[in-house]
Amino acid sequence: MNEILQQYWQAYLWSDGYHITGVAMTLWLLTASIAIGFVLAVPLAVARVSPNPLIRGPVWFYTYVFRGTPLYIQLLVFYTGIYSIESVRAQPLLDAFFREGINCTLLAFALNTCAYTVEIFAGAIRATPYGEIEAARAYGMSSFTLYRRVILPSALRRALPYYSNEVILMLHSTTLAFTATVPDILKVARDVNSATYASFEAFGIAGALYAVIVFALVWLFRRGEQRWLAFLKPQAH
Amino acid sequence: MYKLTVDDLHKKYGTHEVLKGVSLKAKAGDVISIIGSSGSGKSTFLRCINFLEQPCAGAITLNGEAIRTAPDKTGALCVSDARQLQQMRTRLAMVFQHFNLWGHMTVLENIIEAPMHVLGVSRAEAEARARKYLAKVGLPESVEGKYPSHMSGGQQQRVAIARALAMEPEVMLFDEPTSALDPELVGEVLKVMQTLAEEGRTMLVVTHEMGFAREVSNHVMFLHQGRVEEEGHPREVLNQPRSERLQQFLAGSLK
Repeated sequence: MNEILQQYWQAYLWSDGYHITGVAMTLWLLTASIAIGFVLAVPLAVARVSPNPLIRGPVWFYTYVFRGTPLYIQLLVFYTGIYSIESVRAQPLLDAFFREGINCTLLAFALNTCAYTVEIFAGAIRATPYGEIEAARAYGMSSFTLYRRVILPSALRRALPYYSNEVILMLHSTTLAFTATVPDILKVARDVNSATYASFEAFGIAGALYAVIVFALVWLFRRGEQRWLAFLKPQAH
Repeated sequence: MYKLTVDDLHKKYGTHEVLKGVSLKAKAGDVISIIGSSGSGKSTFLRCINFLEQPCAGAITLNGEAIRTAPDKTGALCVSDARQLQQMRTRLAMVFQHFNLWGHMTVLENIIEAPMHVLGVSRAEAEARARKYLAKVGLPESVEGKYPSHMSGGQQQRVAIARALAMEPEVMLFDEPTSALDPELVGEVLKVMQTLAEEGRTMLVVTHEMGFAREVSNHVMFLHQGRVEEEGHPREVLNQPRSERLQQFLAGSLK
């Protein structure tokens, strides 16, 4: 155990000497896909609750496809499937993008978490108390101001507990990244395993690292909830 | 010159006609109570005035400025100019039966929200207004940082009144402001409304509080099945009702 730690702790945490690996890579995969997913999910969630079927329909289709198929398959399609298409390789920009495993992985992860996040946010938007929307209209707010000042701030807060769940699930999903040769924590653990045959230690260390990251995430979200969800907390009078 | 006139307002839900031609004229300083049993159309009437409900026919004029409307496919009247409607709504502040405060905002944020983000008032000015009107509705400064869900119904409704006042509106619309309150909290809200009436504010009040209608308002409208059955000064209307409907209604509500 000690020998493994001494020899591989750097690879587990941030670098194998050549690449970013381990925890650093896992955190990069997580934050990048969550950030892209969030930024895309907010406008898509607004579109998802639109009364106009031409706006609502395509978003429904997108979330249905990405929630209806396993992430593993999505990753394979983006990593091996798309690159096997002749016309993609013929296009220099597309060729450069899809040749890199990390790009394919981030694209698949971001689109996948975005689909789930859209549904979480759309549900919260639908659950906005109707009276609050009516009050905003009665006070002369335009639809844009109504969304910006009332519906989205309220909905994003109420979505926080469900969203934190999605982030944690996304962290666990990053373990699929080795499929595209991305050296995340699990990839390092697999390499350690094949080099030392100490399976229990190799994967045990990886598990412990994930648990520590989850612990930090849960703590962060709890802080966030205390700050932004205080209005929902029951209070003793 | 009337502050607000409503002419021959009609409203249908499907084939059911809720309002069959209701008119109203309010001068500055008028306090008009709109009474009637449930289903008489009184709330619908009030909500049609700021187009929270779409009327089917009728005209609304605020301070001599008519709201431009055009019928849509279903025959309901749509406002032709969204800007004009938003602008008009800022001058017709509404107080709701269920308060409808914005739950994720504190008391202070609730009150400064529309002045800042709709009227474009500076934060300092909006906060000054908020403090002034919180004092007017009898709430201490210590409630500023509280969330609505942590307050009693009576306090929430007084915050909602302060929110309406902070718009410095020309006409205030009250939609059954005490109906959702526990009986012991009704008084504190009615007292605030009485103060506002005495200041000469123009108010339309849909209410079940006959005492308020009698003592505070200077005009009472009794709606029955979508029509004005009887209206006039509260002393005449409430003390010597002419129509049988109103006699029955008052006999029922004054028990």
